[in-house]
Amino acid sequence: MSRQPLDLTINGESYQLMVEPHWSLLQVLRRELGMTGTKENCLEAECGVCTVLLDGKAVNSCILLAEQARGRSIVTIEGLGDPEHLHPLQRAFIDHGAVQCGYCIPGMILTAKSFLDECRGHVPSEAEVREALSGTLCRCTGYQKIVEAVIAAARQLNSWPEEAGRAS
Amino acid sequence: MSGYQHRVAGKRLNRLDGIGKVTGKHVYAADFALPGMLFGKILRSSEPHARIRRLDVAKARALPGVRTVLTASDIPAIRFGTAIKDRSVFADGVVRFRGEAIAAVAATSLEIAEAAVRAIEIEYEPLPAVFDPEEALTSGAPLVHAGWSDYQALPVFDREGNVSGRAELGGGDVEAGFAQSYRIYEHRFTTQHVHPGYTEPRSAIASWDGNGDVIVWCNTQLPFDMKNMLAEVLDLPASKVRVIVPGIGGGFGGKLRVGVEHFAAWLARASKRPVKVMTTSEEELTDAYPRQPTIVTLRTGVSRDGLLLARQGRVLLDCGAYANSGPATAAIALQVLAGPYRTPHLAFESVAVYTNKGSTGSFRAPAGPMANFAVESQMDLIADNLGIDPLEFRLRNVYREGDKGPAGETLTSVSIEECLRKAADAIGWHDRRPAHGRGKGIACSWWLTTGGSSGVYVKINPDGSVTLVSGAVELGSGAITGAAQILAEELGVDLADVNVAEVDTHSSPYDYGAQGSRTAFSVGNACIAAAKDLRRQIGELMAAQWQVPIDSVRLEEKSVISGDKRMSLAEVASLSQRSGGGLISHGTAIQPMPVFDPSKVKNHPLPAWTSHSFHAHAVDLSVDQVTGEVSIHRYVVAQDVGYAINPTYIEGQIEGGVAQGIGQTLSEEIVYDQGRVMNANLTDYKMPTTMDMPRVECILVEKPGVNGPYGAKGVGEPPCIQPPAAIANAIAVASGVRVCSLPITAEKIALERLDRAAD
Repeated sequence: MSRQPLDLTINGESYQLMVEPHWSLLQVLRRELGMTGTKENCLEAECGVCTVLLDGKAVNSCILLAEQARGRSIVTIEGLGDPEHLHPLQRAFIDHGAVQCGYCIPGMILTAKSFLDECRGHVPSEAEVREALSGTLCRCTGYQKIVEAVIAAARQLNSWPEEAGRAS
Repeated sequence: MSGYQHRVAGKRLNRLDGIGKVTGKHVYAADFALPGMLFGKILRSSEPHARIRRLDVAKARALPGVRTVLTASDIPAIRFGTAIKDRSVFADGVVRFRGEAIAAVAATSLEIAEAAVRAIEIEYEPLPAVFDPEEALTSGAPLVHAGWSDYQALPVFDREGNVSGRAELGGGDVEAGFAQSYRIYEHRFTTQHVHPGYTEPRSAIASWDGNGDVIVWCNTQLPFDMKNMLAEVLDLPASKVRVIVPGIGGGFGGKLRVGVEHFAAWLARASKRPVKVMTTSEEELTDAYPRQPTIVTLRTGVSRDGLLLARQGRVLLDCGAYANSGPATAAIALQVLAGPYRTPHLAFESVAVYTNKGSTGSFRAPAGPMANFAVESQMDLIADNLGIDPLEFRLRNVYREGDKGPAGETLTSVSIEECLRKAADAIGWHDRRPAHGRGKGIACSWWLTTGGSSGVYVKINPDGSVTLVSGAVELGSGAITGAAQILAEELGVDLADVNVAEVDTHSSPYDYGAQGSRTAFSVGNACIAAAKDLRRQIGELMAAQWQVPIDSVRLEEKSVISGDKRMSLAEVASLSQRSGGGLISHGTAIQPMPVFDPSKVKNHPLPAWTSHSFHAHAVDLSVDQVTGEVSIHRYVVAQDVGYAINPTYIEGQIEGGVAQGIGQTLSEEIVYDQGRVMNANLTDYKMPTTMDMPRVECILVEKPGVNGPYGAKGVGEPPCIQPPAAIANAIAVASGVRVCSLPITAEKIALERLDRAAD
């Protein structure tokens, strides 16, 4: 198969690539660009470790053709925050002990980011957070501290107090 | 440590590798790549038991981009294995399970490697196969290994035909015990194949250097064991094999043994290029190291007032086609079956058998959930029959301080009663049936802290930082952060001052590995020893420098002090480098083996447990009266951790272990039909998600042990032991249905109810 030109915008930077049409976005990120913060496991959209943001929405990059990301904005874990400037979700995951082996964590954080952006101003309930994160498997934590971290980050990201958020 | 307040140990401090993990910068073995590397893929058997009549790789070799194709005929015929050397890199003319490796390809891309695997031509001559472990024991059963008697094996294992190992544990006179019994109960329990479920696939990259040494970057839990096993498989001296673990995305006992590393090493040698081999989900669910299925039969005699008098039992464990850790796992099940109860007369037997199914391994608390499901389900069945409350029945029989264990060892730091009472109080045991269709269950157990030695090198650097070099990998549990907390405590520095080096078998000191709930315990002890030696070095250096008595020199708040003299630890490290090579020490640790009575064990590789811990779980759940669906409302764990080195990560171990236990109890099973895995993907192999998990309430009991750092006991494995029994017991209360086979699916509960209604 022959490679075709493809321009992608990843973490605000543009990349001019030559890719085969059947390559997944995950494959391009990890193998072509060496951006291994996005993880690889089941390759059938069951485990969620490959999650990235496409125009702000969480998607499984293992079943998305790279071509489908043309002209859209891709955010990976590398683009969310760096060690000196952690995103509140990244900070909360560390502070709440939500990280063990860590392999699912980039996908979990980006899924949570997409969800909290949708929440727009209200702090979600534990049940809502659990539902939002149900597409990402974690085998280490039992999810409890992950859920606590997401709620804590939501509180911090949210300028509205919790009660006002519920009322809306 | 009475009267001494810890500064670093015991605190809820953040793990050392957290920032790398949340920013995507932490490099796992699966992320690792080398310039010019090739990609390896494996041809696997489509038959459960067959002779390979023809194998032709010519078309595969001819494909553009294919650099090498290997089969058994291209490499030395070497057998390897943990207990028994029964396995080869590629099938040795006979395949023994569906999914067994037959050939391997290295190509310039994964796609080409996959195409090459498809281009290999193979013809089989089917052989009679055996899938059922009980059938495998019968005299006419097909032999999985016709040449079993020629295999090298550890002498402790008693083997014959399809039996890969038989062990015994017991004492007293069990028949006399039954003769004295008021009632005798007999039950049969079955458990299933369960995958460890680590999210990072097993992955290895091998590269051969100019000296003919092979370097393997992989995600093994046991770098030193891996090094030795690879040396054996590659027919090399161990000094020619170097194993480096960049990072590991979970293991849970599933990454102990050679999985893909040997393929990568052989392919790299043949192709003279680095080669990466990584598993797919299908390979994980067909050729990995899942928890073994078991059939446990248990016969128990009790007195009229509810005291255990005699127990006889057998654990039949299905190893699959290769023994691996199966014989030892089956033997360890016997201790789980015995404890934590006083029983005057015991006669337990384990039998590990071969079948034509995938190999199995040492998933977290190997044997724990299987044996505990049997013994703790039966405790409830007996209590119900005797009309005694199940908690009360347990409390009448549990071990007390100073009791003898099943092998005659003396039990110390016994906390089972405290764990049971705390778990029961927390769940509200006084109200076991709070509503129709709702019920509470309890189960308890004990477990060991695995032995084996640990070494650490510790350096104090001229900037005041401390480098910890350990041969133990950080699996994710936080154990290395825990060990670093102990080191920081002992050296009077902060946790943030400690950096941890990557594990590299060329430069790291030996460690028995991240397994068996031992890492924080054993590496922590080695850190205490290393710190002691560093304090000695500092004392000698500064006593000479200041002309003061050695015992006047002390370490405090990152300074070295004697009388009114004071120098920062950083300056002392710098002084040591200028005058004598720097502050560096080698600390080691190993647990003493308990004294036991050899007459109580036979062919048992682990006769008595080191640094045992006790724990109790209690659960409150509802069962849908129509569908049989189980909803867990509350889950409580009271676990004796001896000393909580970092409560946050101990809770993490408990919460995660319970999740795995709930998965084994309610939904997970690698389903086999005639040797074929019917659900080799993560859609149909159902691990718990956020929606399936209740909150887990952790009660950390701290009854100090004798051998652990500050009294700590092993933590990691126990939390997955009791969920099957605790949940089964609660389901019985809530629904009236007793299910004795795992997993307890809604379907099983509903069908059982229908059967009962029909009777």
